[in-house]
Amino acid sequence: MEAAVITGMGVISPVGIGKEEFWKGLIQGQNGCEEITQFDTASFRSKKAALAKGFNPKAFIPLMKIRRLDRASQFAIAATRMAMEDAGLTIGKDVSAERIGIILGSGFCGAVNAEAFHRGQVLRGPSDLNPILFPNTVPNAAASNASIELGIKGPNSTVVQSFCTAEAALLFAYQQLIAHKADAIITGGVDELSAILYRGWNALRLAAWDAGDGERSAPYDLKRNGFIPGEGAGIVILEREADALRRKARIYGKIRGLTAAGGAKHPGEKVARTIAGALKRGGMKTIDFIDGAGNSSPLLDAAEAEGLRLALPDRYRDIPLSSFKSMLGEGIASGGVRIAADLLILERGIIPPTITYAYPDPLCRLGVVQESLKAPIKTILHTGISLDGTYMAIILGRANGVS
Amino acid sequence: MRDKKRSAVITGIGIICATGNTVGEFLASLKQGRRGIREITLFDCTGYPSTIAAQIAGYDPLDFFDKRELRRLSRVDQFVLIAAEEALVDADLALNPKDGAPIGVCLGAGAGGMLSAEIYHRQLLDGKRPRPSLLLPFVPSYATDRLAERYRLEGPRTTITTACSSSASSIAYGAELIRRGEADVMVCGGGEALSELTFGGFCSLKIMDPFPCRPFDARRQGLSLGEGAAVLILEEKERARGRGARIYGELLGYALGGEAFHITAPEETGREEARIMREALHDAGVEPHEVDYINAHGTGTILNDQVETLAINQVWGADASHLPISSTKSMIGHCLGAAGGLEAAATLLAMRHHVIPPTAGFEQGDEICDLDYVPQAREAEIEIALSNSFAFGGNCTALIFGKEGLQP
Repeated sequence: MEAAVITGMGVISPVGIGKEEFWKGLIQGQNGCEEITQFDTASFRSKKAALAKGFNPKAFIPLMKIRRLDRASQFAIAATRMAMEDAGLTIGKDVSAERIGIILGSGFCGAVNAEAFHRGQVLRGPSDLNPILFPNTVPNAAASNASIELGIKGPNSTVVQSFCTAEAALLFAYQQLIAHKADAIITGGVDELSAILYRGWNALRLAAWDAGDGERSAPYDLKRNGFIPGEGAGIVILEREADALRRKARIYGKIRGLTAAGGAKHPGEKVARTIAGALKRGGMKTIDFIDGAGNSSPLLDAAEAEGLRLALPDRYRDIPLSSFKSMLGEGIASGGVRIAADLLILERGIIPPTITYAYPDPLCRLGVVQESLKAPIKTILHTGISLDGTYMAIILGRANGVS
Repeated sequence: MRDKKRSAVITGIGIICATGNTVGEFLASLKQGRRGIREITLFDCTGYPSTIAAQIAGYDPLDFFDKRELRRLSRVDQFVLIAAEEALVDADLALNPKDGAPIGVCLGAGAGGMLSAEIYHRQLLDGKRPRPSLLLPFVPSYATDRLAERYRLEGPRTTITTACSSSASSIAYGAELIRRGEADVMVCGGGEALSELTFGGFCSLKIMDPFPCRPFDARRQGLSLGEGAAVLILEEKERARGRGARIYGELLGYALGGEAFHITAPEETGREEARIMREALHDAGVEPHEVDYINAHGTGTILNDQVETLAINQVWGADASHLPISSTKSMIGHCLGAAGGLEAAATLLAMRHHVIPPTAGFEQGDEICDLDYVPQAREAEIEIALSNSFAFGGNCTALIFGKEGLQP
């Protein structure tokens, strides 16, 4: 089996825009979850979100075009541009337009325009509809606008799979690359948080709230009571290893294992199944670091912990683990930003902390890292777990020859 | 490259749409050229330039589900589950719902969950307190999860959300997972339910025909929307042969490309659509002249039908005028997230039952649309067929199906 490697990344996150700002925010344990001032939260139980602050679309998109693009599409275009530049890939020079694809996970991209368009229908009726809004109501608007803006003509798709949305996109992109449908694929996830989506998470009682210990994104913590909704974009460039070596690209890491499973019953076993499968594919018995999916959900964090215990019974408490969602919040496609973090950890050897961890939960007895930790990391397990039973495990390792 | 030995065949189909609640009814309607486009009763269309769509008429969810189940199922989820039940029975996979099965689910979704979210949103704007669970189907993966849950399917799960090409792409990706050994059986296809948002949206773009859509016809004024679901069971070829399954056809090849042109309009020369059809033919190892039938995207908009025709002309050259091309959207409307799945099903049924479905209502083409659009169903042997799906964002998917036994 040919190997796929990652050669570039672009990040827009609540703790920083661009990989260096993002990295600095992560290792300093910066909290991206803050009281919302962008819209009114008076009627909601929750008050905090992890918004991507200070994003300036003008730095990435011609002024005339910005008006026609929703925020999610702006994120996608900006993060894709950063990733292409980081990878040193120029379309038309290093790769032809037809041989580069884009497959992104969409975290409610389009929902803002859908809400605005439907509001017009309800309040003003059929005679006064805004035709600019409708095209960007589709979840694929972000990836497709990026393809239009950058001239990407290869395999083009968008996926949504609950909280494993970006991981599912990565699997799709990986399969297309290994099947030689393209020579490079842009993949990852984009989330846009809006007032209507925030309302939804609140209505469904999934968002964190202050029950006496503060409104916290507190993965694996005994007092966790929901997630803090987040947004951003994490986009990476996937290439076959041989191609990346040939063009002497900087290789952040290599996909050593990638597995998916489904089933709402016995979620811990399903998590364990994906982890065991990914380890087997990577020919590994253990792992240096776990990037946990932990999003502060009472149920999911416990199921994930059980899965880790079942898959790595002798080691699960000794392997350092951290959930970046303590700083970044949860978007259903935040796996993309997490993958970018994983690659920087492989490159730089520092584990970012789970900043909110305070009260150990007997159901989540894991090696949670609470302060930034220097450690040479050669392999990372990235887990994905969602409500309704989608599970994914990704193993990323340092590329050959990089020690 | 890929292991040529592993290939995906289709061993089960399930359908619900405006012209039929089962595969049998759907097939009969294709043969008759029966059109399901009628007055919309699902929501109030007063004030819109059109009041028609291929709405599923006479549908009572209680014929299929009990009240308790229905609390968690929006209209599109119901359609998906109805089609899935028929497809799984048709494929005769002997599933035991007590045991999980290592079967994957990859569905395409459009705006099916919107109908439920709209009810929530309208009540909210009216100052009421809507039921929060109305929001759940808004996540496009909701129907995928309901299907997997109902049959305890424990393989990989994905939902593809590329608007009008979603469910065509779900078949392509499902087949790729089988080719690459990630799964032996995949449940693919997708669903759509009419909604006020999509209806108003296409009206706002001024591409909704006030009359039932007339793809490729000189008088065409736009599309008619539709709804429904198609579920196809994809299975590894040797596995299917080994168990003596009935095989509708094989997915010989596909291409999922981007036009990188415009968010709604196709690249006007047809160059990009032609490229993507060629890529699919190349993937299938098929020469253009070997194709016996094209199930067109054929929405009925001025631009789509023109560009698709130009693209076909570029790939087939002088042979294009001998190639039967039809748009089944003339009967079932444009079912967005379900369109590619329904059209793949129509293509496979055409192959199996030796009949080319018509472009119902087609009378006369124009200067550009001057190919054979099959106004009436026609008996024919189809060994290889192509199905096109094009979407907002320039997401184009071409699927190539071949008759079982065509390749060793």
